[in-house]
Amino acid sequence: MNRVVITGIGVVTPIGNTRDTFWSALVEARSGIGPITIIPTERLNSRIAAQVLDFKPSEHFDPRRESLLDRFAQFAVVAARSALRDSQLELTEELALDTATIIGNSTGGMNTLDDSFSRLYATHGTRAHPLSIPRLMSNAACSAISMDLGLKGPTYTIASACSSGTHAIGQAFSMVRSGQVPIALTGGTEACLTVGTFKGWEALRVLSADTCRPFSRTRSGLVLGEGAAMFVLETHEHAVARGAPIYAEMLGFGMSADAGDITAIDPSGAARAMRGALKDAKINPGDVDYVNAHGTGTALNDKGETAALRLAFGDAADHLAVSSSKGVLGHSLGAAGALELAATALALHHQVIPPTANFEEADPDCDLDYVPNTARNAPIQNAMSSSFAFGGLNAVLVLGRA
Amino acid sequence: MGTAHLAGTTHLAGTTLAIIDDVRSIIAKSLNIPVETLTPDKRLDELGAESLDVIEIVFALEEKYDIAIPLQANDATRVSASGKPEEKSADAAGGNELPFATVGDVAEMVEKLVAAKASK
Repeated sequence: MNRVVITGIGVVTPIGNTRDTFWSALVEARSGIGPITIIPTERLNSRIAAQVLDFKPSEHFDPRRESLLDRFAQFAVVAARSALRDSQLELTEELALDTATIIGNSTGGMNTLDDSFSRLYATHGTRAHPLSIPRLMSNAACSAISMDLGLKGPTYTIASACSSGTHAIGQAFSMVRSGQVPIALTGGTEACLTVGTFKGWEALRVLSADTCRPFSRTRSGLVLGEGAAMFVLETHEHAVARGAPIYAEMLGFGMSADAGDITAIDPSGAARAMRGALKDAKINPGDVDYVNAHGTGTALNDKGETAALRLAFGDAADHLAVSSSKGVLGHSLGAAGALELAATALALHHQVIPPTANFEEADPDCDLDYVPNTARNAPIQNAMSSSFAFGGLNAVLVLGRA
Repeated sequence: MGTAHLAGTTHLAGTTLAIIDDVRSIIAKSLNIPVETLTPDKRLDELGAESLDVIEIVFALEEKYDIAIPLQANDATRVSASGKPEEKSADAAGGNELPFATVGDVAEMVEKLVAAKASK
């Protein structure tokens, strides 16, 4: 079994497209949530989102390439390039042949799909754009990364709704740990802020009208977001040998299915994934200092997640610092686990716990230390990042200080 | 059952029989329970409605009457968890109070929204 470390982090997010801008906004609880400007809002009831506003495709792609890529694939490629650059890894032809690309996204090219359907059904166009299918396929992002960076090892997409990013990174971690591949490029991406997507989420009646306030008594629902976060994972041995920067060590991965409700969190299922990750990491509940929670800001999730943390950690839960990044990042669905793993790795790297933004008032149902509004300097030896998906699919990663 | 239904209907001043019957049949279908058991005083949570059921019922009524019913799942989950809508502080922006608890409440709300639409 190899030790596995994170040596590169790349992000495209509502709060910045560099590691440093991303981290400083998280620490300062500067929210990326704001009025929707990237799509028409006249038919929407909820008109806020965490949008990636500082992103011009033409700055990253030549026109022919750009037309091949839906927004979710563009985010993925730009974040993957940043992660690889950040790792300072010199990708030789031989290494590229063995590098895995495992990417999570819950949907696919939703902007392309929305445009095509609108053209066909609303304006009764007679033909779809010839690149519709390659743009919208679920694996378009992972294929685009593979092609852009010349990565030729095992390459595929994992789709498990809001756990997609975490499942993908966990899978890549397992592949590097087992020795199947020496390097993996992994993460999550999502760009589905379309009118069609919004109407679907509106109908579920879980969208907040103002902002996302995880774990606060006054929380009013979730806010949709978008973005991508990518990582370079490699063996500890390889990283040390080449003198690479190491942000954190990947220690454990736990997964479970609730086999119950399609949308509601099941505390026992979520707790089993947390326990599994701790066992895989060979550490005890008391060894964890920080949990970057799923914390969507809905009444049900935050209450259920608190119960799950108590189930998994027992008495140690009272000594945990728990924060949700969704008050700042919104909920980027399949990318969320990846964005939040970036937050977790950077927390370990900087030894700073990013706060839960927009926290107003304690809720008796949520009785842990949520690090409200203000970041905290604290020694962090081990940290956890959790994702719980619609369909009852839970994925949890444990990281250790490098 | 018939008596209870009638008694309940009388108590629902102003709610037409057509609307209460629609509401009952939509709820019965969604929860897969006999329509006769749905007296106006029955609470949705006591009938086993979970938040997704409430959302589906509300959707069916919105489609049927072309109205918009203000509801957030946040509030629906509070109902099924605690048995009654929780009091929320007035400054809890974005959090609507759940506008109904019983079958009769749903019918009354639909009635009001339909009337409001007609008067526009």
